[in-house]
Amino acid sequence: MRSPQLTDVKGAWRYLAALGVVMAATLVAELLYRVLETTRLSMIFLAGVLVAAVWLGSGPAYLAAAAAFLIYNFYLVDPRFTLTFGSPEEAIVLVVFLIVAMLTGSLAGRVRDEARRAQDRARTTQALLEASRAFGASIDEEAVRERLATHLAEAAKGEAVIWDGSRAFTHPRGRNLPADLISDVEALEAAAPPDGVMTIVGGDWRARPLRAGGERLGVAAWRALSPQAPEAEAASLVDVLIDLGAGAIVRARLSEGQAEIQALARTEQLRNALLSSISHDLRTPLAAILASASSLKEFGDQFPPDVRDDLLATITEEAERLNLFVANLLDMTRLEGGALRVEAGPFSVREVIDRLTARLARRLGARRLVTKMADGGLIARGDPVLLEQALGNVLENAIRFSPDGSEILLTVHGGDRVEIEVTDAGPGVPEAELDLIFEKFFRSPQALKHSQGTGLGLSIARGLTEAMGGAVHARPRADARGLVVALRLPGEETP
Amino acid sequence: MTGERLLLVDDEPQLIRALRPALGAAGYEVTTAENGQAALSQMAREPTDVVILDLGLPDLDGKEVIRRIREWSDVPILVLSARDLESEKISALDLGADDFVNKPVGVGELLARIRAALRGRERRFASHAHLKTGELEINFASREVTLEGDDVRLTPREYDLVRTLARHAGRVVTHKQLIAAVWGPEASVDAQFVRVLVGQVRTKLEADSASPKILLTEPGIGYRLRAED
Repeated sequence: MRSPQLTDVKGAWRYLAALGVVMAATLVAELLYRVLETTRLSMIFLAGVLVAAVWLGSGPAYLAAAAAFLIYNFYLVDPRFTLTFGSPEEAIVLVVFLIVAMLTGSLAGRVRDEARRAQDRARTTQALLEASRAFGASIDEEAVRERLATHLAEAAKGEAVIWDGSRAFTHPRGRNLPADLISDVEALEAAAPPDGVMTIVGGDWRARPLRAGGERLGVAAWRALSPQAPEAEAASLVDVLIDLGAGAIVRARLSEGQAEIQALARTEQLRNALLSSISHDLRTPLAAILASASSLKEFGDQFPPDVRDDLLATITEEAERLNLFVANLLDMTRLEGGALRVEAGPFSVREVIDRLTARLARRLGARRLVTKMADGGLIARGDPVLLEQALGNVLENAIRFSPDGSEILLTVHGGDRVEIEVTDAGPGVPEAELDLIFEKFFRSPQALKHSQGTGLGLSIARGLTEAMGGAVHARPRADARGLVVALRLPGEETP
Repeated sequence: MTGERLLLVDDEPQLIRALRPALGAAGYEVTTAENGQAALSQMAREPTDVVILDLGLPDLDGKEVIRRIREWSDVPILVLSARDLESEKISALDLGADDFVNKPVGVGELLARIRAALRGRERRFASHAHLKTGELEINFASREVTLEGDDVRLTPREYDLVRTLARHAGRVVTHKQLIAAVWGPEASVDAQFVRVLVGQVRTKLEADSASPKILLTEPGIGYRLRAED
């Protein structure tokens, strides 16, 4: 609530203003005296005293009452232009006037002072509320310090500096601090004085150490830009603000520490998952190789030839698988380390697919690979070696998940983009996992049942394709169970 | 020992393919299962003499398979597991698995472990009063322990430790199982006590207690008394 108020007048000016009000009342009285030719104008002066009291407070009101009494007596009471009075009746009027003026001034002034104090308190409460909201909304220590500087400067009606031991947060922002202020603040921080406000830089600035829970958090310094001394209310506001800010800084530090711990835990979790995945993928083929080789060593002569051949085939296949896994791991490392060199240029997608289908023919087993290529050159921009590897990984994935006797469809569309789609008849991938399958070491629970993939193939395919400026996406197959993986590369129109 | 029925449970077909011929050549009648459910129903269908179980199965947790088998059967169970899952192995053993083998494993060691597991079962049923392994002899009836024919004087706790390991000769016994056997199942005693006790026993049984030949450590899991064939 705001009390009606003219302008805010401070200090000695209030008393001058009170005299001004009385002068104005005198002028009005003079006017009325000329027009109405009456001397019964004490009410005009009382009104002036009342105005002075409401506007300027009780002190100036007393001055106004005294001045009004003297002027009224001198100017209007017969005999005029003397400070004497003619009749006892006049004397009573004058005494009553003085008493009424004093009482009016005192009462109205007190009401006004009370209202101003209430207003100050409301402002303080408001400022604290805003500051505490601002601190609460700040997530990191820096933001808390910046906001503390802002609120402190507002509370002190000047400027403020929050020193954190090495850096200063200022309000107004980016202000260059005088060297003597910095050295004084540093000295204060180093001396670790008991809590309390002290004066620094030759009395110009005030400063208080920032402390919370025994922790030293730096120094808060401020100075008022208007010359008068800070009111008691403002001083306590500054104090509370600094305590509030210190608490907020500690809280911000704690939550930062918490976030760091959580991030560490996540990294650790990821590393463990990665390690156990790698160790499983390396150990599974190794277990088969060791079992086969040691079986041959111990029982070789007892086994019929087909069993021996089978064990030897296991050793070969598992060694190849191990090699593939190690190669994948190396590719992944190269991709992540940014060591991959892309030789980008126009090349024939048709040739890449021909090479690839020849290479994969042996792995298809009882599945069929059906290739549908659009007419034309099908020239893409990129590196044919990388595409062969990326598409090879996608096809191997499709083969791994497709049941025997099923069909894997490979379609290629040309144009300003070359789009290669691999459609399998496998179990498909739930919507939520469509993007995850390109993550390193991700294997859906489905995949774990179906295959012994490395969890790297598709993420390498995506990494390679993206390195060539292309993109890879997966979507569920529209017409049946299965998955569609689409590789897109920038194309070159055939001339 | 020929003709014993062995169930091999592993979800990696290539491992089954690699192990099967050797197990067959060693005289076992081998059946296989690729997951926990198949293993349980196979066991319900036909009597089984020993189970080799991979802990990482696609459908059921390997430990759950052990728990369900142990509800009605004390068939020897040999856990086949990756080396980095120490805690998994311990809980598998505490659930009643007889022993574990780290992957990858040569068939020579695997067959030795299978023999030890089968012998353990014979020992449980026959309740031999006597065990001889190498130069060490233990008479369970008279609580006498001799090494190369000489008496070894053991404190009651040391004897309990040796007896427990001897009852499982060739197979691993976890810290928890040793604590239950020596101090009682409710004792609040940690693995450090077992380590100290094993150290004392080694000074009495081993020629060089720093490189034990009889009382072997399974790091992180427990101890194993060497069984000589």
